Amino acid sequence: MHIMEGFLPLQWCIVWWIIAVPCLILGMYQLKKVLATDREALPLLGVTGGFIFILSSLKLPSVTGSCSHPTGTGLSAISFGPWITALVCAIVLLFQSLFLAHGGLSVLGANIVSMGIVGPLVGYTIYRLLRDTSVNIFITVFLVTALADIFTYVTTSLELALAYPAETGGFVSSFSLFMGIFAITQLPLAIVEGIVLALVFKYIVALKPDILIRLKIFSEEQINKARSDS
Amino acid sequence: MAYKYKLEILTLIAIGIFCGLFLYTSSTMSDAEFTGSDNVGSGLIAKLSGTPLENFQPIIPQWEPPSGEIESCLFALQAAFGGILVGGIFGFWIGQKKKA
Repeated sequence: MHIMEGFLPLQWCIVWWIIAVPCLILGMYQLKKVLATDREALPLLGVTGGFIFILSSLKLPSVTGSCSHPTGTGLSAISFGPWITALVCAIVLLFQSLFLAHGGLSVLGANIVSMGIVGPLVGYTIYRLLRDTSVNIFITVFLVTALADIFTYVTTSLELALAYPAETGGFVSSFSLFMGIFAITQLPLAIVEGIVLALVFKYIVALKPDILIRLKIFSEEQINKARSDS
Repeated sequence: MAYKYKLEILTLIAIGIFCGLFLYTSSTMSDAEFTGSDNVGSGLIAKLSGTPLENFQPIIPQWEPPSGEIESCLFALQAAFGGILVGGIFGFWIGQKKKA
């Protein structure tokens, strides 16, 4: 999902930076608040953030004959919401643009918007819709993670299509071309990522159910039900 | 017993299918190079804008890993950092649970 340095015109770099910065500031503010109210939230942030570090470094082959990486943002979006997740993603993406030539400083804003903001925001919306229903919490985690992953790549396609509309067919035809590269490659990866993070969530539920209840991520009944089921 | 581990079994099946798909595509698709989709995307940008690929120069100068080995070293460090965080904290939680 990285847009490479130099591949986005300057005006678009600025647009995405302007969208990204307020979200990051909101994330910093929220993070300070969460950590001040409950120190036990810090290990949970470490685990969910750790998975963003691990999964976004794995470039996996896909059915289209090219490689792409999962994002790992689902658990963090559920636990801390999209803004704190954006902050963690910004750290990962900064590391990758400084040392790995994946993305770059000018396109960092655009990459933060796709991986850190829109993906987690879509995931978080799904989570809020499903939280108070009777849907199994592991299915919720699966859907949130897989959709956060897919929508990261949909956003990258959108960012590129806006900057490079095709001569014939304009934005729509460009968008479908970029979707063909990014989203189709991503589909199998997103499904596997969703299942793996649902399994990780099972272990968090088994080891540290109290923090999930205290942060009101899921209700006590839901957690107890999940513990007796699995 | 098997019921208790259904998520684990499902994960193994999913990873198995994923590996199978990879083996199938890599042996049947002759033009599959397994380059990054980022690079495929950059190729499409060049095609759409009608500008040759080498004309895209970084707006902000950028350090590039001098070789694939160094790049994979840095990626491994990134993953290791995440692994230490996750493993350390899970261990901490297991310890807390045992103490309680």
